[in-house]
Amino acid sequence: MPTKPRGASAQETLTRDHKRLLYRNLVRAMTLDRMMMRIIRAGKMVGFYHEGGIALAPGVAAGTFLRRDDAMNPHYRAHGIAHMIAKGVDIQSYVAEHMGRVDGCAKGRSSFHVSYPEDHIFGWSANIGANFPPCIGYGFAARYRSTDQVVMNCSGDGSYQEGRAHEALLMTANWHLPVIFWCENNGIAQSSALSDLFPIADISRLAAGYGIPALMVDGQDLLACGEAALAAIAHARAGKGPIFVELKTLRSQEHNVGGLNNEGAHTRDPALMQKWRDTRDPLTLATARLLKDQVLTEAEVADLQLEADREAAAIEVHCEASPKATPSIDELMAGVYAP
Amino acid sequence: MTAIREISLGEAMKEALAEEMRRDDDVFLLGVSIRAGTFLHTKGLVEEFGERRVLDTPLSEPGGVGTAFGAAQEGLRPVLDFMYAGFAYFAGSEVFIQAGQYHFLHGSKHPLPMTLIGTCGVGRRVANEHATLPYGALIHHPGIKVCLPSTPYDAKGLLKAAIRDNNPVFFLWHTSLMALKGPVPTDEYIVPIGVADVKRAGTDVTVLTSGLQVHHSLKAAEAVSSEISVEVIDVRSFEPFDLPCLLNSVTKTTRLVVVDEDFERGGFAAEIAAQMMEHGYDLLDAPVRRVCHPHMPVPGGYIDAYSMPTPARIEAAIRDVCR
Ligand SMILES: Cc1ncc(C[n+]2csc(CCOP(=O)(O)OP(=O)(O)O)c2C)c(N)n1
Repeated sequence: MPTKPRGASAQETLTRDHKRLLYRNLVRAMTLDRMMMRIIRAGKMVGFYHEGGIALAPGVAAGTFLRRDDAMNPHYRAHGIAHMIAKGVDIQSYVAEHMGRVDGCAKGRSSFHVSYPEDHIFGWSANIGANFPPCIGYGFAARYRSTDQVVMNCSGDGSYQEGRAHEALLMTANWHLPVIFWCENNGIAQSSALSDLFPIADISRLAAGYGIPALMVDGQDLLACGEAALAAIAHARAGKGPIFVELKTLRSQEHNVGGLNNEGAHTRDPALMQKWRDTRDPLTLATARLLKDQVLTEAEVADLQLEADREAAAIEVHCEASPKATPSIDELMAGVYAP
Repeated sequence: MTAIREISLGEAMKEALAEEMRRDDDVFLLGVSIRAGTFLHTKGLVEEFGERRVLDTPLSEPGGVGTAFGAAQEGLRPVLDFMYAGFAYFAGSEVFIQAGQYHFLHGSKHPLPMTLIGTCGVGRRVANEHATLPYGALIHHPGIKVCLPSTPYDAKGLLKAAIRDNNPVFFLWHTSLMALKGPVPTDEYIVPIGVADVKRAGTDVTVLTSGLQVHHSLKAAEAVSSEISVEVIDVRSFEPFDLPCLLNSVTKTTRLVVVDEDFERGGFAAEIAAQMMEHGYDLLDAPVRRVCHPHMPVPGGYIDAYSMPTPARIEAAIRDVCR
């Protein structure tokens, strides 16, 4: 898997602290993903969930080095939880939202919609590809006000099948906007293989057509993802315009909980996915690497997992204690327009 | 020999697709993850008809509708599946404007036999985008036919009619009715587009509705049956709309409640109320009542169960017009 930047100017190296932070966030992200799976399997979630599984290193890396005032569109896999916790968002109210509670970030009326405008995570749509046009706007606002904010625009290979993606590449390149196209490519969209839907395997090759530099990274390698994030953020922050980062990752389970796991008419091979889980789990890989490099000790690894388990348990308890949101129609109608 | 089996609404649609594809090689199917059979209605079709006639498209809704549009102009009979009908808005221009205006604005010379399929409906707890019912917006734009069945029987017959129609037809189905079972004959039949169906006969009040709300209205009718005799009309097609069926019914009942799961403002229910005033004002003994989704985005969580028209809200409206 090529990991060398292609035409990207910035080269960044991770410090020991960076590595420890990335690792801690990955432990938290994967633990919270399992917590969401527990909640939905227990019948306590309203709506659906799309498990992150072994695909969360890109999301963690995308969020970890952003500032609070940098706009981000999280990729919806694991419902963006990896991206958001890494950016420093307190996602307890997002979990409550999934449980239809009054403490939800959208007051329990929205199931899976994220709403953290104070963290510059403004929200999203269930329509895949809807992220692209507003990300042009986030970048535009930064340029207009002459700030050095950047935009982390994360989405899957499926979203690059929408015309909107191509419009965003065009407009951000043309206006030189600080937008990072963070493409988490797991080679599959719902129940169709990417090879059936896209004429090229490397989506980052699109960038060259618009004069946008691109990086391609092994998305199972947490540190490689982190380096790419640092490089991309530095590039955009320095006013060098958009940059494209493609992270090759894996979906080792069905599209959504209870849904299919097909490539066209064919069911995906469970043995292959088990093999990925056994050999390509980003946390297992990062643990081995960071222990070997003496960035972490066995005891620290165990502590971080314990800390993450406590975080998840506390969130679950809090959300369950929050009452179910059942406002009157009049209350809801009062929320349609801003005052 | 005719046999009648109980099959689900999704399976009935699959039978319609398969029968029309066997009958006419020009009929083909395209959409997002339809080979896998994300929903019941396309599951297994690629095995019978092969990849030439059952195509997975990228997530490119304007491209998908454009393919159908162009292929139909060249004489094929495409069936495009959006998965959720709300995704059709990504191809707004193609769906709402271009498909419907083509025939008329080009001299009424050339047919455009394309079928669009999408599921919709409130009550799945995941809010607006997946719930969006586009029929109100669709009927506002001339030139495209629109239907929504409430039973497996109607689903199969209407979908066959849609595929044979020489115009764009948006065939909607309701997410909460996908697995609903009902009797469907093995013999071939068609349910014509533009013909409503009286699902329950009554004499005191007419309830005109569609999709899931047919079932909610039947429940409400049953609940009041000892006091009020309710006639429930399933419109089945929003465009063309079966006005004679409505007027016949109101001639008898003199009262009308329109139940519409879509947003209240400027929607199908408002259109029916206006047509009633224009064509049947003298028949009415009470003002027309609407029961719709309130004019706010469809919420998720625990709220959509009561923000949509419920049997209780329909019952209240029935009682209100019959006071
Ligand atoms: C406009 C639109 N079309 C289709 C869908 C249905 N859908 C939901 S997720 C998905 C696959 C998205 O794939 P990708 O963006 O690669 O993310 P991944 O699930 O692989 O992580 C599809 C087709 C949708 N939500 N929106």
